[in-house]
Amino acid sequence: MQTRTEGIVLRSQKYGEADLIVTYLTSDKGIIRAFAKSPRKTKSRFGSSLEPLTHTRISLWGKEHSSMPKITQSDIINSFHQIRENYNDFVSLSKLSEIVLSLTPAEIPSKQIFSFFLNILHFITSSEEDQKDAQHLIAMVRLLATIGYAPRLSGCGKCGAEESYDFYPDSGTTLCAKCASTPLSPAKPFIRINNKVIHFYTHSIEWPINKSNRLKPNDQTLLELSGVLDRHLSHLLSKKLRSSEFIAGACQ
Amino acid sequence: MSGNVVENLIEELTRLPGIGKKTAQRLAFFIMGMPDKDALSMADAIITLKQKARFCRQCFNITEDELCSICRNSSRDRSKICVIEEPSNLIVIENTKIFNGLYHVLLGALSPIDGITPERLKIEELIKRVKAGGVSEVIIATNPNTKGETTAQYLSQVLKPLGVKLSRIAYGLPIGGDIEFADEVTLSKALEGRNEM
Ligand SMILES: [Zn+2]
Ligand SMILES: [Zn+2]
Repeated sequence: MQTRTEGIVLRSQKYGEADLIVTYLTSDKGIIRAFAKSPRKTKSRFGSSLEPLTHTRISLWGKEHSSMPKITQSDIINSFHQIRENYNDFVSLSKLSEIVLSLTPAEIPSKQIFSFFLNILHFITSSEEDQKDAQHLIAMVRLLATIGYAPRLSGCGKCGAEESYDFYPDSGTTLCAKCASTPLSPAKPFIRINNKVIHFYTHSIEWPINKSNRLKPNDQTLLELSGVLDRHLSHLLSKKLRSSEFIAGACQ
Repeated sequence: MSGNVVENLIEELTRLPGIGKKTAQRLAFFIMGMPDKDALSMADAIITLKQKARFCRQCFNITEDELCSICRNSSRDRSKICVIEEPSNLIVIENTKIFNGLYHVLLGALSPIDGITPERLKIEELIKRVKAGGVSEVIIATNPNTKGETTAQYLSQVLKPLGVKLSRIAYGLPIGGDIEFADEVTLSKALEGRNEM
């Protein structure tokens, strides 16, 4: 059966001599994997349409609910090649792709996640070089909010007490001193959050994305928030994101 | 019992890239029909390869000695290093007979989502070679895809401060192809990399 859909390439993996397995975030089928025959041969008609982050219109061939349909046609809607040609942009978007792949259930369609991801690609492509670090982090915060995994960074997540500045990765929220430790469970490791981080984080989620360039966090705030998010994600996934190790390794 | 022996070989052959169950069956029966001498010499070639082949200490090409034949060849231009992903790329570039410098095989390409970090490739070794001096140009010939491009950009970040001339092989259209069937990215790269006539 032939089906057509629209998708963003999240990942392409070599398979055999010249074939590829492509993982797409689609508009109407959620996350799917599909198989492309010989795209790595230079004369392949697929051209660059199977490269990560490409927004494409694809035709798939396979039995209904086949776990690995074959890609028969793939036309580029937007290549987003500028992102792949900017090292930091690509590393950052790889991290977002990995979050989507790890935290959204496969084959459960979500128009919202698809259009969000597409917006982020446009947003990063058009952002100014000196604002990239902030924008990468804003994109990640908003992605977590969109898929329902944003941590709570202000107020106590249990009793609502306002004076709560300690984030507990194990609970995914800030907690007040009373709720953080009970006689039955001793205090767990936490990260102290300051007002600048809370301010930047809250506005990242609440402001329209096209106005987010007005947020001007300092490097310390970015570093602290990205540390909090990394700990939060490590707890959610019970492992470190592969791409986050990459960023640490790429630091010059 | 004899069924198991054939099954075994089929199983082993399917480990090879691009070999499915059917092809493996065909190959297994072909090998069975081969003269003993030929089949044994084929098996022997695999054993010898695994026993003797190793990576060149300098460029990570495959060799039987400490240094590969290219690194040992005194007529090669030692001021140029061509950086490639896999030893198999070296053979293809050598076949063009255009390049007379030395190589550096990274043994892979960077990929954040797969956790392939710079530490997992032979990048530190390349930096050491350049730092050791005598190198005037590094030609980056990683694949024209995302992983190759990410690797090229990382290399440019770490090598530029060393003051060496850096170049990247041109992106272009496949010869024998037709502009009409080229995708926009390939075509725009080919236009950017145009040559004066
Ligand atoms: Zn509380
Ligand atoms: Zn060598």
